Amino acid sequence: MASFTRKIIKIILTVFLALSFIFAGIRLAPGDPVEKILGPEASNEEIFNYKHQLGLDVPIHTQYFNYLTNFLTGNLGDSIFKKTNVLELIKSAFFPTLFLSFTSIFISSLLGIFGGVLSAVNKGQFIDKGLRLASLIGLSFPIFSVAPILVIIFSLKLNLLPVSEWGGIKHIILPVMSLVIPLSAIIMRVTRNKFLEDKNAPWIIVLKAKGLNGLSIIYRITKVILPTVFNVIAIQLSVVLAGTMITETIFDIPGMGSLLFEGIQNRDYPLVQGVIIYVSLVYLMVYFLVDFINEKIDPRIVE
Amino acid sequence: MNKLKVFYKNEDFKFGFFIISIYLFWALFWTFYILLYKGTLNNPYFPLPDMQFELIPPFKNKFLFGTDIHGRSVAEIISMGLIYSIGMAMVISLCSATIGVFMGHLSVTGSRMIKSFCEIFTNVVFTFPSILIAIIIMSFFGSSILGLIIALVFSGWAAYARIARGEIKRILGLPYVEAAKALGMSNRQIFFSSVLPGIFPQLLVHMVLGASGVIISESALGFLGLGGSQYSWGGLLATAKTVLLEAPYLSILISLSMAGLIIGLNLLGDGLRDILDPHSKK
Repeated sequence: MASFTRKIIKIILTVFLALSFIFAGIRLAPGDPVEKILGPEASNEEIFNYKHQLGLDVPIHTQYFNYLTNFLTGNLGDSIFKKTNVLELIKSAFFPTLFLSFTSIFISSLLGIFGGVLSAVNKGQFIDKGLRLASLIGLSFPIFSVAPILVIIFSLKLNLLPVSEWGGIKHIILPVMSLVIPLSAIIMRVTRNKFLEDKNAPWIIVLKAKGLNGLSIIYRITKVILPTVFNVIAIQLSVVLAGTMITETIFDIPGMGSLLFEGIQNRDYPLVQGVIIYVSLVYLMVYFLVDFINEKIDPRIVE
Repeated sequence: MNKLKVFYKNEDFKFGFFIISIYLFWALFWTFYILLYKGTLNNPYFPLPDMQFELIPPFKNKFLFGTDIHGRSVAEIISMGLIYSIGMAMVISLCSATIGVFMGHLSVTGSRMIKSFCEIFTNVVFTFPSILIAIIIMSFFGSSILGLIIALVFSGWAAYARIARGEIKRILGLPYVEAAKALGMSNRQIFFSSVLPGIFPQLLVHMVLGASGVIISESALGFLGLGGSQYSWGGLLATAKTVLLEAPYLSILISLSMAGLIIGLNLLGDGLRDILDPHSKK
């Protein structure tokens, strides 16, 4: 129970610090955001009104306090450009992003773990060499460079899949593929290395001595290396989220990424802040969930 | 001679070294070309836009690899992107590693307060999605090289701090370091005489692998329009994406150049790790 409370405190502390980072990051940036938004020809009065509307005319500690209370009450303000409540915008954009990230994480984990174990078991053989080469290449084409190539191959040359928009299953394949390729490559590498590292541990020698057959030994090693693999996935999660957002801008999917991208382009201050806060929160939640699951799989991991 | 043989025998290292040498040679050549041959130190050469040569495919006219939407030679803008990427990767990796080692050292040798503060701070920055930190900083800093360096160093140092912390803990427990301590050497003397050389191999491996991460993050920001330079490969890819139908060669050439560099760095890093850390494999 004590460790559980400690964990909760850690989560709250992390969320609090993350919120503070976001606050400080936005406020400490040089230049007045309002003047940047309104442009050089804005009158003083306009600037003043605008600042008042955004709540930027009060001292910084009051702003910070307001910011935290607004966060707790779920009030993220209105988008400057779209004139709608930021929370509403986020709600409508949330599903595509979540769906894309989790589908691709799921597929990548299956592919990556399977490929990694396969290549570790056949170390040095043809399969291993081929899989390692494939993972090295997959790793080296980040999402925003693999996506255009996939579009060229599957949409322009083969004319199989549509390029953009969001809807049926056909629209999902290319975005998911461009997310899965780099991620499964990373998972495969980690799985392979960890598997090889643990392969000669004393407890496995005992299992072999007891006469367990190959497949059940592989199964047991795989189970033991899962926490490491999940940890890597959790660390990669930020890359996946960022990748999903980039993928959305490429394939015109109305998710958080498109929202953020629009916000950045229009200097839509509350919108960018809101999206970043929400994405960070989801990210942290999943991160701690993975931590929790890992302890359940392998009880040896307790701080 | 024996020592060199280890390097020569490792295939990952050999290929990685070969690829990176080509890229470094290319970057050096291009740097001299724009600073000394085509331009001068004070007035470097930049690829010239010329609308009459807009979107020429490769192997036509005088352009070996074609031109982009502004009529600039693709070979030239990719080269500009290369020196920019390599420069950024070096500066950012060095700064992140320095801060990371410093924080790692503090979190091992500092007083209890400092220790736990460093630990929490490192963990939070490490947990927090790094590219989001970079997006926050860049979207409000505006696109500038300085902003980009700050953004990526701020999100990158925590990984180094974690590695440094573990390694420094291990090294400080080694008998010869304890002996040095017993002889009355100060923390700082021990840091420079034992800790730094001791963590160097690990640090080098992670800097090489980290450099490829920096190149990817930098391009991702560039792709979102938050890059530090108009020649950022990510930014170039974002522009290339808009003319994917008319000029697929643009995306392909930029992607391949970037992938080659990342493959090289990964091979070099993996090879170095196998060579420098004998118990990691085999």
